[in-house]
Amino acid sequence: MALLLWGIFGVDMNVWLDAFLRLQIVVIVMTVTVMGLIYIERKFVGRIQMRLGPMRTGPYGTLQSIADALKLLTKEDIRPATADFWLFELAPYVTFVPVFMTLLVLPFMEGWFVRDLQLGLFYIVAISGVTVIGYLMAGWASDNKYALLGAVRSAAQLISYELPLVLGVLAVSMVAGSLNLNDIVIQQDTVPNLVLQPLPFLILLTAVLAELSRRPFDIPIGESELVGGPWVEYSGIRWSIIFALTEYAGLWAFSIIGALVFLGGWEWPFGTRDFWGDFDFVYQLVLVFSKSFLLILTMMWISATFPRLRIDQLMAFCWKILLPFGFLQVIINGIVLTYVEDSETARDIVLFLTSGALVVAMAYVIYLATRQPSREERVGAALAARSAQ
Amino acid sequence: MIGVLRSLTATMATMMRKPVTIEYPSKHRKVPERDRAFPILLWDFEVDEPFCTGCHACERACPVECMTVTMKDNPKHAEGKSKRRKILDEFYIDYGRCMRCNICVEVCNFDAIAMNNTWTGHELSSVDRKDLVMDREQLLALSKSKQIRPWVPS
Amino acid sequence: MAIDPETQVEREFETQDLFVNIGPQHPATHGVFRMVIEVDGEVVRDVVPHIGYMHRGGEKLSEHMDYRQAIGYQDRTEYLSQFNAELCYVLAVEKLAGLAPPERAEYIRIILTELNRVSSHFMFLGAFGTDLGVFGTSFTYAFREREHILDLFEEVSGDRLMYAYFRPGGVAWDVPRDFKERVEWVCKQALIGADDMDKLLTDNEIFIARTRNIGKLSIEDAIDYGVTGPMLRASGMKFDLRRDEPYSIYDRFDFDIPVGTNGDCYDRYLVRLAEIRESIRIVRQAVAQMPDEGPILPERMPRMLRPAAGEVYMRCEDPRGEYGLYIVSKGATQPYRCRIRSPSFCNLSALKHMTVGHFVADAVTILGATDIVLCSVDR
Repeated sequence: MALLLWGIFGVDMNVWLDAFLRLQIVVIVMTVTVMGLIYIERKFVGRIQMRLGPMRTGPYGTLQSIADALKLLTKEDIRPATADFWLFELAPYVTFVPVFMTLLVLPFMEGWFVRDLQLGLFYIVAISGVTVIGYLMAGWASDNKYALLGAVRSAAQLISYELPLVLGVLAVSMVAGSLNLNDIVIQQDTVPNLVLQPLPFLILLTAVLAELSRRPFDIPIGESELVGGPWVEYSGIRWSIIFALTEYAGLWAFSIIGALVFLGGWEWPFGTRDFWGDFDFVYQLVLVFSKSFLLILTMMWISATFPRLRIDQLMAFCWKILLPFGFLQVIINGIVLTYVEDSETARDIVLFLTSGALVVAMAYVIYLATRQPSREERVGAALAARSAQ
Repeated sequence: MIGVLRSLTATMATMMRKPVTIEYPSKHRKVPERDRAFPILLWDFEVDEPFCTGCHACERACPVECMTVTMKDNPKHAEGKSKRRKILDEFYIDYGRCMRCNICVEVCNFDAIAMNNTWTGHELSSVDRKDLVMDREQLLALSKSKQIRPWVPS
Repeated sequence: MAIDPETQVEREFETQDLFVNIGPQHPATHGVFRMVIEVDGEVVRDVVPHIGYMHRGGEKLSEHMDYRQAIGYQDRTEYLSQFNAELCYVLAVEKLAGLAPPERAEYIRIILTELNRVSSHFMFLGAFGTDLGVFGTSFTYAFREREHILDLFEEVSGDRLMYAYFRPGGVAWDVPRDFKERVEWVCKQALIGADDMDKLLTDNEIFIARTRNIGKLSIEDAIDYGVTGPMLRASGMKFDLRRDEPYSIYDRFDFDIPVGTNGDCYDRYLVRLAEIRESIRIVRQAVAQMPDEGPILPERMPRMLRPAAGEVYMRCEDPRGEYGLYIVSKGATQPYRCRIRSPSFCNLSALKHMTVGHFVADAVTILGATDIVLCSVDR
């Protein structure tokens, strides 16, 4: 496959040139995907809300993203006079670049990535923690009370939700035995990790929504109160770097990670059998992209449905529910992987059962925390004929 | 957890329904017969003059005082072609002040004024507020074109 | 407690409370309403509402209009529950002038008023979801049902929001022929819409966590502040003017009064959702009882209404509470004084009591659950 793609350049290429070309391909694909995702979100959320979404720019509104991008590029660049110049200018980039850097270690097909790091997952989690600094920079440099409030809230949220993120991927890498994304995918040839580890999947889904500040965790950019949060003073292309690029590139990047790590990537269900010889990469790409697309749709669906959590409820949910269960999962994984050595199927079954049991336990704990009298009692009490007052 | 899943199924159900959007301005919703846009004057085709005699009844009844009416002697009455002794001279309605309450239509003794129940009554935006003051010809234009059936309450 | 390194004396941190201005231009304040919240960290210490941005001198204007012209003004005061305001006004004038509306007109008025209550509660459901952060879903569900109801109103009166359809003594003109079938269809759609909102929000744990135990108001406090309507019923008091002081023909219908237990925002939401269903019950009974033919204005209706000198205070159950009209007549065609007792204004007076001690995010929730209409607050 490498031959096919680099045939015109020859197999033996300068390492830097090779990396540079791969980087360009990732940049182009990311830009196109981000524009496509913005359009898809608007149409999808519109359908959920029984309306049409963009229809007038281009056939069925397909050129809407391009129109938006052009509009934002030509907007006036406003900067508050009392804003801290360098922090204000650099904040969007500090937020975006780490998200982009997570794309560098993802194998989109078998053996194709910009850089093959043995510490793939660890690198991803570490680098996506740098975005917090960008939020704080923006909030402080904007010289705005609302921005500061939003930035402080978002810093607390982002730092807190990195822990469940780490625990989720840690649990999976324990099962796979490696932090290298390529190995994790290869190891899923019979059964995807979603079946083996449903709890880390749910934890990852929640933590990713929180890391991207999407509903139901969008209290920093709470549109109903502190409109815009730390980014309230940004306009034009800088605003679009955050809200369009960072959010959607992050959404895409994390859903690719989810597809590779949990849904089996390009390995499940067909494995590395040679279907089409040199053209194997076509179906591998299609598999990876469609699985990530499924995850993206799920996240958009969740975002469009739920009200937002208040900041203290958010933190309580992270520290009191997600984190303990994440730890439990890691501990149980360790126990199972050490002591169940009979066969691979037995190990798989035990992992599935234990993780499933933890999911049920977590659902029960959430139920206890938000326990209400049953629906009949609630509505009945509302309608019950009380003695005349 | 169950409640959360219930919300998700609710949105999944609505996603399957047909969207309710009507793509304005390429498609227009049908307005009902009684739709009240802004007042227009009616043209009497038999005698070829407006129904309005300029009697000031609507001008007095208007809550926001948006009309100005003047009457004159009807030349056609002197010729014997029309029963109306007086006829409308000038009629100004300021659409910017009109509150579309229908009272002018109710008090008119001659059924000379009616509410515009077509889409043209709703698509009246202009750049200058002075353009919203309609004079006699603009008010009679729609009726003269025979394109509407105005509804006057009995 | 910090220890000053120089003098080794314990000193508490000196902090200053932050004043957050949820300003007149804001997506969540339901109109031009300004709240200045004094915040200690995240906890609200004080709320100062600033109103008056929409004051248009309505009561003064009503003194220069006769009894038919002023009906348009009542629409614009309560712009979400217009028929309720118009009904209160025409009932007050009928009391003053001694007019008795015919049967068919009474039934038409009740049907339209209750459907207006349904549409107003739908608007509340939509806006409440948006305040809480459900980006657009609850809003579009609510507006879809409102569109059905508003289409029906357009077929009857000609306008979608400012009807000016009721008159002292009856209604201005008769309803179209297919009125009963259309009303039945609208009722069916409204129930589907109410079920949609129910499935979306009521059991949702996040929604419950955001609204449970927020903005509690006990019955005694509610009565002290003059709070009426669904807020009072959510606190636990079963008081509804349609049942306790029946006006028009409400005593002929059979309906329940939903009452809450806790007095928090969740109960207010549940009470309003239940009231939608009760209103549809009333509408269906009225459609069944309505005579098919009949006059809509009394036979001897004076052209220019000149009620006898006197005063009247008429109160009705608006979707927001008690909408009261105090009209003084000196025998002329125009009232001498027309005073509006606005339910939103009185409900808003309890805002500080409900909000202090909660978080900033809850302030928006509580304001949303109070369901104010700015034109009514400011008149």
